[in-house]
Amino acid sequence: MGQDSKIRVLVAKPGLDGHERGAHVVAYGLRDEGFEVIYTGLRQTPEQIVSAAVQEDVDVIGLSILSGAHLSLTKKIMEGLKAKGANDVLVTVGGVIPEEDKKTLEEMGVAGVFTSGSKIKDIAALIRTKLGKNA
Amino acid sequence: MKKNSKEEIKEALKKWEDEILNPRVKKFNLDKSPTSFYTPLSWDNSHFLEKVGFPGQFPFTAGNNPFDFWRAYANFAAKAGFRSDWGGSGKSGKYGGFGTPADYRDYLFKMQSMGRYGGPNIAFDLATQCGYDSDSSFAEGEVGRVGVAVDSMQDFAVIYEAYTGNLEIDKVPSNFTINAPAAVIIAMYACLAKKRGIPLNKLEGTPQNDILKEFIARGTYIYPPAPSLRLFRDTCVFCCKNMPALNINSIGGYHIREAGATRVQDLAFSMANGIAYIEAGLEGGLEVDEFVPAFTFNAFGGSMEIYQEIAFQRAARRVWAHILRDRFHAKNPKSMQIRQPITAHIGCSSATLQRPLNNLARAVVGGIAAGMSGGIAGAFPPFDEPLGLGHSQEATQLQQDASRILIYEAKVTDICDPWAGSYFMESLTDEIEKDALAELEKIEKMGGAVAAIENGYMPRAVAKSAYDRQKKIENQEELVVGVNCFTGEHEIDVSINRVVEATYDPELMKTAEERQKANLARLKRERNGTAVVSSLRSLKVQAEDKDKNLMPAICECVENDATLQEICDVLREVFGEAQPMKL
Repeated sequence: MGQDSKIRVLVAKPGLDGHERGAHVVAYGLRDEGFEVIYTGLRQTPEQIVSAAVQEDVDVIGLSILSGAHLSLTKKIMEGLKAKGANDVLVTVGGVIPEEDKKTLEEMGVAGVFTSGSKIKDIAALIRTKLGKNA
Repeated sequence: MKKNSKEEIKEALKKWEDEILNPRVKKFNLDKSPTSFYTPLSWDNSHFLEKVGFPGQFPFTAGNNPFDFWRAYANFAAKAGFRSDWGGSGKSGKYGGFGTPADYRDYLFKMQSMGRYGGPNIAFDLATQCGYDSDSSFAEGEVGRVGVAVDSMQDFAVIYEAYTGNLEIDKVPSNFTINAPAAVIIAMYACLAKKRGIPLNKLEGTPQNDILKEFIARGTYIYPPAPSLRLFRDTCVFCCKNMPALNINSIGGYHIREAGATRVQDLAFSMANGIAYIEAGLEGGLEVDEFVPAFTFNAFGGSMEIYQEIAFQRAARRVWAHILRDRFHAKNPKSMQIRQPITAHIGCSSATLQRPLNNLARAVVGGIAAGMSGGIAGAFPPFDEPLGLGHSQEATQLQQDASRILIYEAKVTDICDPWAGSYFMESLTDEIEKDALAELEKIEKMGGAVAAIENGYMPRAVAKSAYDRQKKIENQEELVVGVNCFTGEHEIDVSINRVVEATYDPELMKTAEERQKANLARLKRERNGTAVVSSLRSLKVQAEDKDKNLMPAICECVENDATLQEICDVLREVFGEAQPMKL
């Protein structure tokens, strides 16, 4: 990680869903937690997100999806990361995620699912624990 | 009894603070009192007529009317067992839409068989809202998901197969929750009427057509703000001249607040957007009183803070009335009124995923605020709002009953503006008005709504406010029951039965994308390709001249079965595309 040991996070909005509140809040919050945060803005395709993650060499991708398309979009991103050899990137998903879909997402390799009422510091703690880093 | 003078009250207040209040604050070891008490010193009623006035009179603080249509017939509706989605007697059906047009049409038939005869209140899927057809790569995974997919005039016509005879489109109104491609949908509505032989001036309904707030919240924009506003102008003029019974837009502070805006930002930003729409209509050559009476508002935002939300509604009515009268010199009182289906409410983001049945209690608070601020006492949203997309029929029933209980049993709506003249409520109303006007002035100095979107001010301000609120919840400055307090092990998670069948058939949802792509492929095969190309070309030529009204050309494209994306793509070519905001 060199001298810059800050955890790098890509907060991303895949698909056409325009509800940005969660993404904004998490982006600001993780910044305040000392992470390096890049926000993609709305309407990114899974391919754009994967390539941004690889280019920016991020440790974490935080996906925010409220449209109900979380299963198909997340699946594509997980496959894209694998194809680029970026399996070590931690992926979390936030949004309106029904309870029964949480397991499916975890089986895809998602490290954490955060729904409404989640705390930023819990998201930050999960990221730090999973990465084994304190930055 | 002798009249109290101001000095006497001032003196008595001081005495009360010294002898009663402050010792009590001290006794409980507090820094300050947790409650407030208001007196005639807090609000001077000597300008009652200018500040409040009577319901139905300028400045409409006390309400647009002494009572609305639904209230006039409320008792009749109850005795007749009349059912509508807001607990009132409106003609509009519940907001909905999913799958292919045929899926949604069949759902509407089913609703009608259950006694729900409201007009179509259409939710479009995200691809449609963003100007993409179902076969676009951008639409993958989104088709028919948060609304119905509409790619062409033929799709639109399939939905309306559920509306004929007694429910013909000259008898029931239509609502279209769509913004960036609103012009295309309005053109489809006009085209449908033409095909059915119904005069355009008989069409009622409301397209959301509020593109500016999409840049501040909600995010379904296509073109940059300035050409987007030009499209608004064109729809505004077209509706005003041809479809005078149709509302032109539904300006939403609601989405802005849900995206995180404070109450003051909600009011100021909505007013700034409203001003931009008025200026667009004037630029299109209309007189203010010719088109502004057809403006509506899709409610402003809401919160759990009942007093503040009541004051907010009163302040909003007064601010808009003054803008119309003083700045735009409107004469028609209808131009000066904020017409909206509901007034105060809690806002969907106040509903919690944790112990979700509590949301029924929350919605009732919103219903009381609504009933006390000139609206239907609508206990919105249904308690299962945060559990996933789509409300269960049970939650909807409970929501309706809650509203009915407020109206018929608690009699909340028997008094018009019950808070008029309250020292507390009037001073709070003044305060919200003052703060919102100061914020509005800031936006005006930047050059108005379009400028304050282009420079990122409004969207960023909303994002920052959302984060401030989150911080307050995380550090318990704001308390939310079951979320950041009262979460101990002895609290009980009340189990809920949503035993009724899912509102939208999940099996149909799964296959909607493939089926709709097949529909679209068939359309593209069977239509007259030459007519499509020539009408799209003519649209492009018109679009390049910003003085031209694009509605006739869009109508022609729609009639020739050009797809929604083909129309939007032509405009993308001429107008460019809006760039998503970075933080």
